[in-house]
Formats: sequence, structure tokens, C-alpha cells
Amino acid sequence: MKKQYALTLFLASMLIVAFAAIAGSGHSSDLPAPPAIGSTIDDFKLPDADGKEHSLSALKGKNGAVMIFMATRCPVSNAYNDRMEKLAQDYQAKGIAVIGINSNVTEPASEVKSHAAEKHLTFAILKDEGSKIADRFGATRTPEVYVIDGNNKLVYHGRIDNSQKVEGVTANDVRDALDEMLAGKQVTKTGGAAFGCTIKRTS
Amino acid sequence: MRFRFLILLVGLAAALTFAGVAAPSHSPTAGAASKARTPGPLVRDGVSATEIREIDLEGLKKLLQRDPKDTRPLLINFWATWCDSCREEFPDLVKIDSDYRAKGLNFVAISLDDVTDVKTKVEPFLKEMKATMAVVLLNVNDPEPAIHAVDPTWQGDMPATFLYDRDGKVIFKHFGRIKPDELRSIIDKQVGSKQ
Repeated sequence: MKKQYALTLFLASMLIVAFAAIAGSGHSSDLPAPPAIGSTIDDFKLPDADGKEHSLSALKGKNGAVMIFMATRCPVSNAYNDRMEKLAQDYQAKGIAVIGINSNVTEPASEVKSHAAEKHLTFAILKDEGSKIADRFGATRTPEVYVIDGNNKLVYHGRIDNSQKVEGVTANDVRDALDEMLAGKQVTKTGGAAFGCTIKRTS
Repeated sequence: MRFRFLILLVGLAAALTFAGVAAPSHSPTAGAASKARTPGPLVRDGVSATEIREIDLEGLKKLLQRDPKDTRPLLINFWATWCDSCREEFPDLVKIDSDYRAKGLNFVAISLDDVTDVKTKVEPFLKEMKATMAVVLLNVNDPEPAIHAVDPTWQGDMPATFLYDRDGKVIFKHFGRIKPDELRSIIDKQVGSKQ
């Protein structure tokens, strides 16, 4: 009887230790995980700042698209305005479309429109009300980039390049990925880490 | 000749004036603070203020490896004044620092602000928050090696909070705004167990 009690106590304590270990290693972010490299991105529809609906399939180029989660007020995202526009201009003729997505609940469509005009951004910028597309992509910060190929396969997810300051850039991660993809090669660096502003969602 | 002498005289007077103006700013407190290389709170004019030390990738690695003699649990928070969620959770962190420091928690807040924003943005924010934890500013061109030195699975989401136990093992990590009660209960276990 006493032995049984000791065993129960032992098992119970083991269970507590196991639970503690699970809790300790547990979930480190509250957001859905982003799609894996190589997975197919489903089509979606979002309105632009004028309220006109666009689908990914209609906007993307024949060779793919670069989706950039961006912001109007984030200094990191703003540091990349010129680089985003240049990327759009440089790759348009190569069949790649740059698509901006603003998922910040704090930044209304009117602000997205005036910001684009002020910063001379000519590529499509979509307003993601309710951050639904950001949720689907597991996007957390601005700027954050997702590159898909002509068959909607995700080939790159991460930063634009390796320095917030344009003069410090020594690695153009997104351009390198696009060039490899366009040359029919496997993308060697499929992601890159960088600090950015948190996407403000409705909570 | 007389003209040259006049210039010399004016120059000398200017130098003396400059020295006179510059001297008061080199108060003993400021001098001592700039020499102190260990991050830590210091008290200035009765108001607690935090000295912000700049670190590079090597400095970050050193901070994470820690002094073997320091057996306190270490709490690290990556933040910036331009990060809204970081600003929002900061009062909770200030409170955690003041509640747990005496119990042996070592807290270092790592700012990712631009070096040029220290005086204009970082310091005023810390003052407003009445922050007393150690604050360092990570100054790196390419953030990726620094991010991966902390955690290979981290993509740079902010804020990011890590708790290391006495042995330097990560026992808690969270990307996004922390839940203070959850973090506190984990710190409690760390500072509560016997040394």
C-alpha cells in the first residue's frame, strides 16, 4: 500500500516535470506560422487605397511577384521606400510585379494613398483590413517580403537586404533570389533576418 | 607683426573661454560614468538614469556568454523607440526590473535604435519610463548575424524577450508583447530556488 502511494507520488512528480518542460519550451509567438518555402500560395483579393479590388493572380507578373508587407509610419519600412520602388521598376520588364500590402490597423487607406503619393511609390499597394492576409502569411513586421514564382510557389521569405541604411548594403537578398529564380536556378538563400516594426493588428 | 600678435591674443582668449565653457560638463559624475564599462544603473542628481553603452556583434556575444562568475538569471529584451509594441510593454519591464533586481535578476534591455537617436529619442524615453535596468545599444550594419547569435530561429520580430537561467540556458523566449504574469511566474522560479 505504502509502495503504491510512493509510486503514484513519483509518477505525479514526473508528470509535473514533463509539463514544466513543455511549458518552458512552449509557444514563443502568438501568431500563425508562415508558409514553408516551396509551398503554394493561394490566390487572394484585397482592395487598393481607392477601394478597388485586386487579386494576386491579376497583379502578379508572368514570372512571379514580390509581396512586401509595408507601413506608412514605420521608420524601418520608410527607409526602404526608394529601394522598393527601384525594385518594382527594375523587375517589371522581367515579369515580376512588386505588390505592397499594408496590414496595420493604425494606418487607414487614405493614409496609405497619401503616403504612396508623397514617397512616389508607383507599384500597387493593397490595404489588408483586419490583417487577414498578414495572418495567412504569418507576417509579423514591416518591411517583410514574400517572393513567389510564376507557379505561385514561395521561393523566398524575409528581409529586403542586409542593411537599413542604403550605404551599408552589401547583400541584396531579394534581388539575388529573383535573379536566381529568373535564371531557372534554385534560390540559395531563401530567407534573411532583420529587425522591423511590428504589424499592428486588431486585438 | 602687430596684427599677428593680435590674432594670437584673440586665439588664446577664445581657447580660455572654450575651456571655461567645456569644464562644467566634465563633472565628476559624467567622467566616472563614461569610464564605467559595465552596464548598470547609476543615479544622477537623485533621479535614476541609465547609461547607454554601445555594443557590436562581439559585444552581444560576450553579453550572452556572460561572466562565468555572474550566476544571476539574465533577462534580455530587444526593443526600439520606433517599435510601438516595445513601447507598450516597457512599463511592465520596468516594473519587473524593480521588483526582481534585489532578488538577483540581471536585466539588460538591448535597444535597436539608430546611434544618432540616443540623445533625442532613447534617453528621453527611458527617463519618461523611469527605467533603471541596464540599457545597451546594438550597433550593427547587418542585423542577421546578431539575430542568429541570439536565436537561430528568430527572424527579427520585435519586441523579443529571452530569459537565461544561471547556467546560461534559454528557459523562456517570446516574440511580440510579453504577458507580464507569465514572465513573472517563470522568473519567480529562477530567483526563488536556492543559490
